[in-house]
Amino acid sequence: MNEQKPRPVGPDKQKILHERAGALARAPVQEKADEATLELVEFQLAAERYGIESVFVREVYPLKQLTLVPCTPPFVRGLINVRGQIVTVVDLKRFFDLPQQGLSDLNRVLILNAPGMALGLLADAIIGVRQVPAAGLQPTLSTLTDARASYLRGITADRLVVLDAARLLADPKIVVQEEVEN
Amino acid sequence: MKLRVTVAIKLAASFGLCAVLFIGLAAVGYRTTSTSLEQAGWVDHTHQVLTDLAKLLSSLQDAETGQRGYIITGLEDFLEPYKAGLAQEDVHRKELVKLTADNPNQQRRLEALEPLIKERLALLLQGIELRRTNDFAAAQKFVTSGTSRKEMDETRKLITAMKDEEEVLLKKRDAEAAQSAITTYWTLGLLALGGSLFTVIIGVLLWRNIAVPLQGLTGVAERIALGDLTASVATEERHDEVGVLTQNFQRMTQWLQSMAVVAGKVSGGDLRVQVTPQSERDVLGNAFAEMVANLRRLTTEITESVNVLGSSASEISTSTSQLAASATETATAVSETTTTVEEVRQTAQVASQKARFVADSAQKASQISQSGKKATEESAAGMNRIKQQMDSIAESMVRLSEQTQAISDIIASVDDIAQQSNLLAVNAAIEAAKAGEQGKGFAVVAQEVKSLADQSKQATAHVRTILSDIQKATSAAVMATEQGAKAVETGVRQSSQAGESILALANSVTEASQAAIQIAAPAQQQLTGADQVAKARESIKQGSGQNFAGAKQMETATHNLNELGQRLKQLVQRYKV
Repeated sequence: MNEQKPRPVGPDKQKILHERAGALARAPVQEKADEATLELVEFQLAAERYGIESVFVREVYPLKQLTLVPCTPPFVRGLINVRGQIVTVVDLKRFFDLPQQGLSDLNRVLILNAPGMALGLLADAIIGVRQVPAAGLQPTLSTLTDARASYLRGITADRLVVLDAARLLADPKIVVQEEVEN
Repeated sequence: MKLRVTVAIKLAASFGLCAVLFIGLAAVGYRTTSTSLEQAGWVDHTHQVLTDLAKLLSSLQDAETGQRGYIITGLEDFLEPYKAGLAQEDVHRKELVKLTADNPNQQRRLEALEPLIKERLALLLQGIELRRTNDFAAAQKFVTSGTSRKEMDETRKLITAMKDEEEVLLKKRDAEAAQSAITTYWTLGLLALGGSLFTVIIGVLLWRNIAVPLQGLTGVAERIALGDLTASVATEERHDEVGVLTQNFQRMTQWLQSMAVVAGKVSGGDLRVQVTPQSERDVLGNAFAEMVANLRRLTTEITESVNVLGSSASEISTSTSQLAASATETATAVSETTTTVEEVRQTAQVASQKARFVADSAQKASQISQSGKKATEESAAGMNRIKQQMDSIAESMVRLSEQTQAISDIIASVDDIAQQSNLLAVNAAIEAAKAGEQGKGFAVVAQEVKSLADQSKQATAHVRTILSDIQKATSAAVMATEQGAKAVETGVRQSSQAGESILALANSVTEASQAAIQIAAPAQQQLTGADQVAKARESIKQGSGQNFAGAKQMETATHNLNELGQRLKQLVQRYKV
């Protein structure tokens, strides 16, 4: 990279630093008694926001060098190499048989951890980590289809669909075992 | 059959008689002349004898002289006469003998003379011999002895006798000659007279017989030659040529009179006469017959021609009047074209002026187009410069675009960094969440990292917007440049087109100028042509006027012709065919 000019130390930066300092100095007052909060990793997938418990999320990885694998179900989009570990990438849209197929904006992979299994979920964008009160979860809406209904934990007030990662990971459908006849 | 005594016979007889007369006269004359000659010859003979005798004597004397001389001198030179005398003596003596052969007397004498002479000569010789021996005295003595004298005298006597006889003869012969001469004169005179009388008589007879009738005929012929055919010849019953001539003259006169009668009839207009020639060789008769026949034919033809002439004259007359009418029409038509011709002339003039004007304008336009061409070329050069500038601008734009691309790449990497930072922050948050209570501090750090990532992202987004603005501006500039380049190209093309158009314009202007010049010339010619047409029109007018006058004249001429035809007809009618 070329030598870049240092950013000008203007009043904006001062303001930001000041805000940071204030934020750091503030005690965590915002802690409520409701301990039942979920740490969700919020991500966007095909114009819908989904959330998944961060317990199950090992990390978030950008989608690079997706290796296609033949003779796999359509929801299995391929494999990626995460620091030496091969992770299967699954497209939830195809898994749930949603419309709007296509790798339009999918460039993030949520690597889910499960005992003896690592799975990657394609996402358009990672919005962030959020805590939502567990009580705010509402049961599934009737508008959702059956395919997804089984994997949902609920929907938050701002229409965040919370996925049940455990069930997803335990689904036998995920396991692909096919043999190619010679 | 009666003997036709022709003039030839008469003439022959007359001349024959005359000839006989002449011959007789000539014979008589010849005879007398020969007689005279003979007598003259005898006279001459006698003279010759005398001469010879004298010569003989002289020769003897010469001999003697010579002898004497020699004797005297003793020189041989003086013997010359002697020698000569000797020779001549012999000659003369012989001659005498010959001459006197008819006269016996003389012959006797000559015979007697001969010895005498011989002796004489011998004596002479003797004397010479004596002298030769240089004996002068003896010789002298000899001479004086006179022996030779006797012979000499005898000789002389003889000779004299001979001479006398000869002289007598001479006289006799002279008398005879005179007598015969007189006889001749008388004879000849009488004969001549008689002959001439005879000739005269015959001549007169002939004249009367031949010349007088001929004179008459001559007179008649003269009158006939003058044309007077009333002369006639009195016919006689003569059978000679003159009579025949007279008869023929009579016939000829009659024939001529008949011809004259025929001619008179023909002159009177009666062509019905018939002429019969006397023979094939009758030139006049044949000619007359032919003439009458021709005249008849001619008259018939003339009659026909006169008829034709009459009809033709009437036709000509009608045509002439038509011609006069058409001439008047032509004249009116010509005057009608006056205005038209004048207009044409003016039009031609205007056209000529306009053509000249156009030529001048074309010249100016040509010059202007030349300057326009130069301006176009300059503008094309300017356009090319602009194009080059545009090209350089485009290159700068390209470089700018490349650098913008580089910036974009950098921004992309910065963005990538921001995303990764974001991910990192998320991961950190996740780990912090997993860590629970202990991870709260870490969560704050994660939060800061996330905010940093967000700022980076914002900055990146900002830069990206700016960059996209720049890119848009650049692409707009590039587009503008391209459009400018295209516009320049278009401008160049248009300016070159304009240049070509101007060139074409210049060419067409030049052509127009030349065409205008070419128009100007013919326009001028047209003008002169129009003038000429006007003049021609004038001359046509004159010509038509003359035509009219000519037609009038022709009319009168036709009228005259008609009258002439009528007169001819009348004339021809006088001749009866």
